[in-house]
Amino acid sequence: MIKRHWTPQEADEWRKEDWIAIVLSPLCYILLTLGTALTIFMLVSGYIMLGVGIVLTVLLHWVIDPKLKAISTEYESRQQQYLSELEAKVRWEHRNPDES
Amino acid sequence: MNVTFTFLDWLWVGLFLALMVGSGILFYRLGRRSESDFFLAGRGLPWWLPASSVYATHTATDTPMWITGVIYRHGMAGIWYTFFCGWAAISAFVSTRIFRRSLAYTQAEWNVVRFTGLGSELLRGWMAGWQFFMNMFVLGWVGIAMGKVCEFLFGWPTWIGLVVFSLVCAIYVLASGYWGVVMADFQQGIIAFLVIIIVSAWGIHTAGGPTGIMDQLAALGELDRINPFAFTGWWSGDFPIAWFITMMMIAILGGFGMGTTIDWYVEAQRIQSSKTVRDASYSIWWGTILGLIRNSVWAVAILAFFVMFPGLTETSEYEMGWFRLGFDYLPAGMLGFFFAAILAIHLSTISSHLNLGALYATRDLYQHYVNPKASQKKLILVGRISTAILLLGSFFYGLMMEDITSWLIFALWIMAAGIWLPNILQVVWWRFNAWGYLSSWIANLGFSWLVVWILPALNVIPPLPDYQQFWILMVLGALVYIPVTLLTKAESMDHLVHYYVMSRPIGWWGPVRREAEQRGYLLSNGEAVAEAAYLSRPASDF
Repeated sequence: MIKRHWTPQEADEWRKEDWIAIVLSPLCYILLTLGTALTIFMLVSGYIMLGVGIVLTVLLHWVIDPKLKAISTEYESRQQQYLSELEAKVRWEHRNPDES
Repeated sequence: MNVTFTFLDWLWVGLFLALMVGSGILFYRLGRRSESDFFLAGRGLPWWLPASSVYATHTATDTPMWITGVIYRHGMAGIWYTFFCGWAAISAFVSTRIFRRSLAYTQAEWNVVRFTGLGSELLRGWMAGWQFFMNMFVLGWVGIAMGKVCEFLFGWPTWIGLVVFSLVCAIYVLASGYWGVVMADFQQGIIAFLVIIIVSAWGIHTAGGPTGIMDQLAALGELDRINPFAFTGWWSGDFPIAWFITMMMIAILGGFGMGTTIDWYVEAQRIQSSKTVRDASYSIWWGTILGLIRNSVWAVAILAFFVMFPGLTETSEYEMGWFRLGFDYLPAGMLGFFFAAILAIHLSTISSHLNLGALYATRDLYQHYVNPKASQKKLILVGRISTAILLLGSFFYGLMMEDITSWLIFALWIMAAGIWLPNILQVVWWRFNAWGYLSSWIANLGFSWLVVWILPALNVIPPLPDYQQFWILMVLGALVYIPVTLLTKAESMDHLVHYYVMSRPIGWWGPVRREAEQRGYLLSNGEAVAEAAYLSRPASDF
């Protein structure tokens, strides 16, 4: 169901694990925010919200972390070249194909 | 209210200021190494450092006043006003990831990575100038809030609180740049979070504890104030469901874009200072949730204040509620610690905006347009001069803030409404171009004046609630920027392919992806990148 082992190249694609994170993440924010406040008031609804929020936060990271690690590994190998291109651009050394 | 400090109180304040300035001196050598160090801490931070900076920067002196105001007025439902930062929920895994891969120092620079030609340069110049101004404005706004706190506590004239503490902050920002900012933010974040918990818990305890607060709310006939979903109807009242839906949509879906809220520009710097894409994602996610949890604790403390002082009608009276919980009820000797925490809250915001404004001035204006061949030493010098200009400008803005606040709130609002969707489209739609984006800014400026000020003044339309203004401005803007986009040339495919392979954006990028596959930079099954082919591509593809 959930892919836990990614090659760096596979991780670069937008897959269902990304969409799970996109859906879960705002839910975690809402549940943790309301759950904290209502838990301080010692309301049952607060305990439930906070509990579900914590479980979903753990799940969110369990789903997305292996993919983020793989993306980072892949990207780091190229970062230096991209940085030198960016520096060339800010110094106007970069030739824009449109202007050639 | 005048607070009397003991020797112990002043000792806390003195120790704290020495700690902050000391970190500036400590990181001076790192900050002066390069432009990348002075503005991005060398792009090498683990996620928890920029996360603490996200949290600390967005805990400003005026934040407890503002949150106290909405919670006192609306009860727990007011917490949704603070949920505008919910954009980080999706952004952490979408736009943060895409922006980090672009490596752009600023959002202004991102424009020339994503777009090309004259349009992209116009966007970069405009955004850099506007951000320099906005950071100066925020510094003035937050600075004068500190001035008011000092006036409230000690009876000082407001300019003293504005000038003195911003000057202290400038010492470590000038010395070590972003290194000083982020290291001080880490300490300030911890101090501020602890004190917010202590003061809030103290206030809740003083009001009779959680059950005591609920009993008193029930006695006042105000028990509904602990219901976060206490709407006033679909369209009517000051908390309609239509407002709530609009607000949540802006906040949450805004995470697909870049710049959908003013906070993005600050976070962009934290994103690029993170060591990896993963660190960038977690810094935004965790820094923001910490802020939201802080808001929850504050909200309960403000309800404690409400039951102790119900029926306050003057905003200026009740918005100081959380500060009063601390200064009225904490024991002697702790007041200085509380004031040190307020300074932590204040300095973390001031330092971030001083360094961020200087980044736009140095990288996007000076280096790109004035002196592209500038040495690293020269760039750091310009960064320091820009920091000093921002500081002086903020004093000017702060002292005239009363007169211009309503105009500047309007300026913030127009920035958010009509360009919300273009800010998303620039990330998710390959065909959206620089001219479309530029036209959305210009159209929004005109339409927002019409919808918010001119047409209601001429009685052509009634004054509309802000959420209705948002929808109208969004539709009117789209009538301009969609035709402009489709009637002007798409960005060059070479440029888009390069951007796509580097940033891997989400959304509708099919033609660009196919072109990248055709050139051999990506394989069609999406499972492997022809890295060697990409790295040896012709120079015209850069």
